Amino acid sequence: MSAMPGVVAINTFREAVRDRVLYNLVFFALLMIGAAILVGQISIGIERLVIVNLGLSAISIFGLVMAIFIGVGLVYKEIERRTLYSLLAKPLRRWEFLVGKYAGLVLTLVINTAFMTVALAAALFYVGRPFVRSDGSILIAIYFILLSLALVTAVALFFSCFSSPMLSTLFTLGIYVTGVFANDIRNFGALTNNPMLKTLTSAIYYLVPNFHNFNSIAAAAHGESIPFALVWQNTLYALMYIVLLLLASSAIFSQRNLK
Amino acid sequence: MWIALAAIPVLFASLFLLQVRIDARTRTEAQAQQELMLRSPAAIDKMSLGYNSLLADVYWTRAVQYYGSRVATPHATFGLLWPLLDITTTLDPKLLPAYHFGAIFLSQTGVGGAGRPDLAVKLVKRGIAANPKRWGLYADLGFLYYWHFQDYKDAAAAYLAGSKIAHGPSWMSIMAARMDQKGGSIETSRMIWTQIYDSNKNPTIRKMALDTLKGLKAEQDEAGIDDLVTQYRQRFGRPPSSTAELRDTGLLRGIPVDPDRYPYVLEPDGKAALDPHSPVKIPRVPKTPPPLPKN
Repeated sequence: MSAMPGVVAINTFREAVRDRVLYNLVFFALLMIGAAILVGQISIGIERLVIVNLGLSAISIFGLVMAIFIGVGLVYKEIERRTLYSLLAKPLRRWEFLVGKYAGLVLTLVINTAFMTVALAAALFYVGRPFVRSDGSILIAIYFILLSLALVTAVALFFSCFSSPMLSTLFTLGIYVTGVFANDIRNFGALTNNPMLKTLTSAIYYLVPNFHNFNSIAAAAHGESIPFALVWQNTLYALMYIVLLLLASSAIFSQRNLK
Repeated sequence: MWIALAAIPVLFASLFLLQVRIDARTRTEAQAQQELMLRSPAAIDKMSLGYNSLLADVYWTRAVQYYGSRVATPHATFGLLWPLLDITTTLDPKLLPAYHFGAIFLSQTGVGGAGRPDLAVKLVKRGIAANPKRWGLYADLGFLYYWHFQDYKDAAAAYLAGSKIAHGPSWMSIMAARMDQKGGSIETSRMIWTQIYDSNKNPTIRKMALDTLKGLKAEQDEAGIDDLVTQYRQRFGRPPSSTAELRDTGLLRGIPVDPDRYPYVLEPDGKAALDPHSPVKIPRVPKTPPPLPKN
């Protein structure tokens, strides 16, 4: 494997920084400061809980917005600007371009999330709470959010290989929402007496990425420990799905007529 | 350009004034008719898209605000309190403050709460089902049975169950035994309220506990003075007209005062009572306890 995907990834990250994507960090910091100051005044007994819940939810929502809206334009923008042609004229294969683009956006999300994590820790420190061992579950929850964001990015990239940004956004959002409700969809099928519907809901359950797996915000907020088995199982699940989507994306993109 | 720059602040100021007028017309009505657009906890849980714990915090804050806006308001109703707590605890079954404080908001009678101890018991039982290792919830349940239902058997059972939990405090087993022996005594009530006062950091709850403790102390003092009045009556064949007479006959060392330093007074029949100006209030538990909720 050549170093080209790495070069593409670095440039994708630089482009995101140039597009002032990381400005959302300012908003996140303000949100954390506001919550830390306000919540104690308007609620009872949940100062720490709100900081953790709000922090983790904001990390997830901001990341999700970035992953979807930047992800769906990763390929399309390059085609629109016609920069893709000059790139592919270099010794860069189409799949390398895709992997590089994907890695660049994931790198952006990782750096964005890292800064948000620091802001969250600062807010927790501000509300006068010493860090304890169970805070490890907050870090694990953030890791799970990153895994889900990496997966959403792969879904967005997949759709962007053959569809317009508008449709890709709708498709990605649809897959995400279906993935969040995956358990409910299967349970719905199990409740019916229709074997065909049962098979269909089971198929959907196993086909769409199960984003419910990666949600451990509540557990982290309550300081509950997250089993190590879940960490490696979720990691493996996300990796396998991402590889699957990147392979499918590469297959579609390599066949696409760019003339 | 200059006209636009000048017009913007003028328009903002006009908007501000207009909003103030709209608020004046609609606020009272809106407060009275505060509504919950969605009442199904399960539906809200599904719509939260996985951010249910954050949404639970929002609903809990709303419940606190709702309670705060009505508490101490005569004739205020708390119709939305249970739905808000129901939604909160469905969204996050581990949100312990919602059970603990929510039970107090629901159970308090008069202007202090919704006067629905039955719903408070339901809430705390739900909390125990979701958090069986939290001894504090058993203490809350024991308190509800003791204070609002005078059900000393179930109160003792709740305290005993809590005392068996790992890291549960030793006072819970003492409380369980006390419930069995001296369920309805003022001493037991003072013990429970002292525990509530000591274990809470929230100023509203601490004030409520302190006020109740003062009232219980006054109730105990009044019982003591009544005993002395009986002795006085046996000696002189009539009730004393004031506590000063009790002091003058040597039955009291001085003029007894309530926890807020107001002297006790004697009613015409000789019964001890609080000074009418005293802010101390003797807690009145219902003579006929409300029916116990079904499981």
